[in-house]
Amino acid sequence: MNISVNGKETSVPENPKRTIDSLLEELNVSQRLYVTVELNGEILDRPVYETTPVRDNDVIEFLYFMGGGR
Amino acid sequence: MDSKLKFDSLLIHGGSEPGPAGATSVPIVQSSSFAFESAEGLEDVFRGRAIGSVYTRIGNPTTEALERRLALLEGGGTAIATASGMAAITTAVLTILRAGDEILSSSSLFGGTFSLFRDTLSNYGITTRFVDPLDLEGFRNAVNERTRLLFVETIGNPKLDVPDVPALARIAHEAGLPIMVDSTVSTPYLASGSQLEADILAYSTSKYINGTGTTIGGVIIDRGVFNWNSPKFPHFEQFHKKYRNFAFTARARKLVHKDVGACAAPFNSFLLTEGIQTLALRMERHCSSALVLAGFLKEHPKVAWVRYPGLEDSPQHEVATRLYGGRYGGLLTFGAGDKPSAFKVINGLKLAKNLANIGDAKTLVIHPASTICADYNIEEKTLMGVTEDLIRVSVGIEDYRDIVEDFKNALDSI
Repeated sequence: MNISVNGKETSVPENPKRTIDSLLEELNVSQRLYVTVELNGEILDRPVYETTPVRDNDVIEFLYFMGGGR
Repeated sequence: MDSKLKFDSLLIHGGSEPGPAGATSVPIVQSSSFAFESAEGLEDVFRGRAIGSVYTRIGNPTTEALERRLALLEGGGTAIATASGMAAITTAVLTILRAGDEILSSSSLFGGTFSLFRDTLSNYGITTRFVDPLDLEGFRNAVNERTRLLFVETIGNPKLDVPDVPALARIAHEAGLPIMVDSTVSTPYLASGSQLEADILAYSTSKYINGTGTTIGGVIIDRGVFNWNSPKFPHFEQFHKKYRNFAFTARARKLVHKDVGACAAPFNSFLLTEGIQTLALRMERHCSSALVLAGFLKEHPKVAWVRYPGLEDSPQHEVATRLYGGRYGGLLTFGAGDKPSAFKVINGLKLAKNLANIGDAKTLVIHPASTICADYNIEEKTLMGVTEDLIRVSVGIEDYRDIVEDFKNALDSI
């Protein structure tokens, strides 16, 4: 299955049980408690991470408030 | 592992990551800025797609280690370490309020905070009304359409009154407002932000967190529990849309903290990660010795009065016991009768240092009316509980018998 994660084409094994929450763990995303997830251009509410399935060709962005500045 | 550890273990291990060459202390990353191997890598951090240190005013690995530990100690959330406690309060307040907004604050405040609220912020259209923190109905009735924040100290410095913080939090929440708590005097050891039902905490780490009087620092904790999606907070809309319950931290990190620039120095953050490890042991000693000294002073014929929430006849003994688990902190105040007598006592002390600080391993005293509260008029001093005969004592962790002996000798000499 191919998805886009933070602008990078990413291949993950087929898994019909995969959710946004499990993907965070699978990809070892840093600071999972605080990351914001954007799925196909829409910000997801945190409580639905566990129930939102990941589908082929999904475009996913993990966003942090730590970065930025000059 | 962190979330399973108990408080005393978190003090030592919370937020730790393996250091270079197996180092077990938090490494001091004394660098102003950080190079990236690729343009894409730096772009990702600026866009929020990746975590990385860019510039120490914004974030630094040593400071982030301190921030992770402090957030865990408050029961979870995020932390922003700052240059001082006043920097923390200033940054946190400016993140929430805009010109025309109002703070509803406890009248029992540290002088620096009182000055910030009354004098500095009012020049920029942010006004503050002060209410007796023990008067819950007074707080409830004082909320108006301009109120955007309730602010309270857990144990008022130097008045040492002990408001029912969770009850004040409920009043704030019923009105759709956040409560910000300064827990400098109580520390997360006596009660965490989670136990106090605080939304935001802003406090000094220069005192008990550091513990040895070497470092100035502060911290803002966002527990991530307040819903900023409200017509009262239109300036949070864009941050809430992306960062939901951590909209406060996002707005602080991306705007106010970045723009104000009151960042923690990496070396200071290192000293704080060292000092905090003994917080539990020190607080036990501060509390037990303060109780002994308060009992001694109460019986001394030359002492007019003693204020310490650990004394059973203290008006706030019951609420302090309920909120802080039978520990009452290391601060006490007493009256020497008049100002000349107070000065004689201070001048007669040998062990206790006469200086403007609290929370050191050393026992400290000060005469607030002539020093840290000297700029305030009589009415304001009364509001803050500062009388001309008042001596504030920050009880250290020396042998309690030496502390009592020092005060006995000083009092006997007047």
